[in-house]
Amino acid sequence: MISRHPDPELLVEYTAGGLTTAPAISVTTHLQFCNECRQLAESLEEIGGELMNESEAIPVSENLLDEVLACIDEAAGKQFATLLAKPQDTEAITGIPKYIQALLPADSLKWRFLSPSLRAAAISVGEEVHELALHRIKAGGKAPEHTHRGIEITVVLKGSFSDEDGIYHPGDFILREAGEIHRPCAARNDECICLSVLEAPISLTGVKRIFNPFLSFSPC
Amino acid sequence: MKISFRPLKKTINVDQQQDWNKCLEQVGQHQDKSAFAALFAHFSPLLKAFLMKRGGQNLDNVEEIVQETMIKVWRKAANYSASQGTASTWIYTIARNTRIDAIRSQSRRNPNQLHADDIYNDSYESQETQSPQSSLVRLRDRKQIEEKLGELPTDQADVLTLMYFEGKSGQQVADMLDLPLGTVKSRIRLALAKMKLGLKTLQTETAQLEGVIK
Repeated sequence: MISRHPDPELLVEYTAGGLTTAPAISVTTHLQFCNECRQLAESLEEIGGELMNESEAIPVSENLLDEVLACIDEAAGKQFATLLAKPQDTEAITGIPKYIQALLPADSLKWRFLSPSLRAAAISVGEEVHELALHRIKAGGKAPEHTHRGIEITVVLKGSFSDEDGIYHPGDFILREAGEIHRPCAARNDECICLSVLEAPISLTGVKRIFNPFLSFSPC
Repeated sequence: MKISFRPLKKTINVDQQQDWNKCLEQVGQHQDKSAFAALFAHFSPLLKAFLMKRGGQNLDNVEEIVQETMIKVWRKAANYSASQGTASTWIYTIARNTRIDAIRSQSRRNPNQLHADDIYNDSYESQETQSPQSSLVRLRDRKQIEEKLGELPTDQADVLTLMYFEGKSGQQVADMLDLPLGTVKSRIRLALAKMKLGLKTLQTETAQLEGVIK
């Protein structure tokens, strides 16, 4: 049976700051939905705090406090710009977490046609190893059967989909290892929107292989 | 109302933690600079030690990261409350994010300037984040971590240290130690099991804990 949560080891990597941007975003997205994993992630952060506490202190320069205080005074009253909060108000992204909406480009998403029932839009996060994207499967639609050369993480944002191993609902976190073949299929009554992280290009299996690749690998 | 900050007592670990928690709350609620100076005196050498151990880090800018972390501590302190966890963990997460941004700013690719604070966004919508149950679990986990972290076998402690101190992924740790990834993962699991973290029995344990408190 496939887990619908990140493994504890992955949460350790996440809380320790060892994940690259796209997988880290997929974990935070899952935490938007899952209290249990959020609680574990918070406890795992305590390991970081405790390791820091147990470090052997190394004195800092004598004037460092003064420099910090000077910065604080200088900055007093200034507004700090936030990069977040520029949600787009398009039909496609209503009902998905605000956290993800805030990461989307200010201009509209560029949906790419992958099959009659599947579209994908890349999200640029300045990441070198993985590609982050939104995938939309039409109600009742099927994605092409495919396999992975690297890992694939999928987090359901809206609607539901199923494959050979089960049915997945909003918040479910599905990690596929390289070489696992599956064919996602949206529920009949609603379209399904997922966040996905791809480590390397996935390839189609079967006849459709002769057509365009399901998703070419283009980190941006 | 301004409450004057009282010097901290050297007591046992847990009390000390609570003193730092209060100290940080004092900074957040009253912009108390003497409380901030005390926090700075305690945490900045720890932050420095923590950051120095990270592999591949340019040592010249460790103090810059310490400085930036402490400035953020001042700025964000109003968001802190002791019910969310200890001051040291809260400061750790700020240092972690500052380090991620510092490393990333050295690489050329970051087109939309996504910050670690945006990635590790902790303002969750629509769900109870601070239920009494979650604070209890957190308290229990904290206690387990304090007790058991020092008792972990070296091989497990090394893996955690490399990950938390150096921000290494499981695969990078495996490469460094010349071990299969599976071995690194199982060491993490064993360490978590010793600290009773990530168990599916959380709810029953919480129920027991609540029973004890009642």
